[in-house]
Amino acid sequence: NFFCLFPNLCIVSPCYNCIFLPSVRSRVGGMEFGEETSPALVFDKDAFDLTVEDVYDISYVIGRDLLKISGSGEEVSDLQFRIVRVLEMFETLVNKYNLSLEELRMERDNLKGELQKVLSEQGASREGTTVGPNQLVVDLTDPNRPRFTMQELKEVLQERNQLKAQLMVAQEELQLYKSGILPNAEAAMVEVDLDTPPASQDIFITSDVYKLKPQNMLPRGGR
Amino acid sequence: MAKKTYDLLFKLLLIGDSGVGKTCVLFRFSDDAFNTTFISTIGIDFKIKTVELQGKKIKLQIWDTAGQERFHTITTSYYRGAMGIMLVYDITNAKSFENISKWLRNIDEHANEDVERMLLGNKCDMEDKRVVPKAKGEQIAREHGIRFFETSAKANINIEKAFLTLAEDILRKVHVSGHKF
Repeated sequence: NFFCLFPNLCIVSPCYNCIFLPSVRSRVGGMEFGEETSPALVFDKDAFDLTVEDVYDISYVIGRDLLKISGSGEEVSDLQFRIVRVLEMFETLVNKYNLSLEELRMERDNLKGELQKVLSEQGASREGTTVGPNQLVVDLTDPNRPRFTMQELKEVLQERNQLKAQLMVAQEELQLYKSGILPNAEAAMVEVDLDTPPASQDIFITSDVYKLKPQNMLPRGGR
Repeated sequence: MAKKTYDLLFKLLLIGDSGVGKTCVLFRFSDDAFNTTFISTIGIDFKIKTVELQGKKIKLQIWDTAGQERFHTITTSYYRGAMGIMLVYDITNAKSFENISKWLRNIDEHANEDVERMLLGNKCDMEDKRVVPKAKGEQIAREHGIRFFETSAKANINIEKAFLTLAEDILRKVHVSGHKF
């Protein structure tokens, strides 16, 4: 008997339980569970949830059950040896499985972190390249978004002001006719120069009496 | 013989920061009315008012510009045709006063060399909110050799006087130069 801490449970000689499944030794030595309690529950567990500790519980229960088998013939002894050997292989497999699982979890978490980093970097760089300090992001779904150019506005305003000037001239003429100052159409020659120079979108309103040329309306000495 | 509707046509321009009251000053002068709601001028607009000076009927075509920076390319193209420019600031808005030098530079860059200039400190009815002393307005006007008035479009203070004075100054220039408009 090699240093068996639980001689009552030892079913073989030498004590394979204690040699091959050392945690059974420590477990039993620490008296973590009573003889008749929890270890049997491990048989209800899902195979993929098993830990090495569970394997030790299984070996403990099997060892205990083997004790109940009367007799110590050679067949029983061989069977016990093989059971211990299978339990040892089982321990290795469960241990390996759990380590692999843990490794994969860590690997997954690392990759997740890296992905997050790459995504945020990409987002930052995209913002940096498409929207410069002097650029504007336009929401295409906003019905009130800017969509006309300054040149278009300029032209619309110019046309509006020309029409306004023409209207004023027409109103003035109408007033003169109504008041009887102008008896016939020929007398009223009102001219609106719509060919405005591009440099100054000016409107020149002239009458026949004062034929005004655009340059005459500007103070002399223009640059 | 046809009756003339006016003898001379003067083109004036109103410039200055957004919200100082350029449109209100013009509206008071042209329609003798005042509106408290603030409607930002889009680009450029104008009004016509005929006045009589020294026995002459003078038609004033007064261009009202948007003070907002985004319209500046449009508004500056109207400087060149102006014979008189009114630079308006708001006596309750220090920034609008600080920007006077910027507006004067704009005039130098875009207007005719001999354009008649005038400085107006508007909203002078709001004495309790004044941040620009009258003396400061007078000083800067003196430095640049231009006329200055404190005005109120709301209370109708000095509005007509300012426009008539500017028109008189232009008329005087016309007489002196003997230039026939």
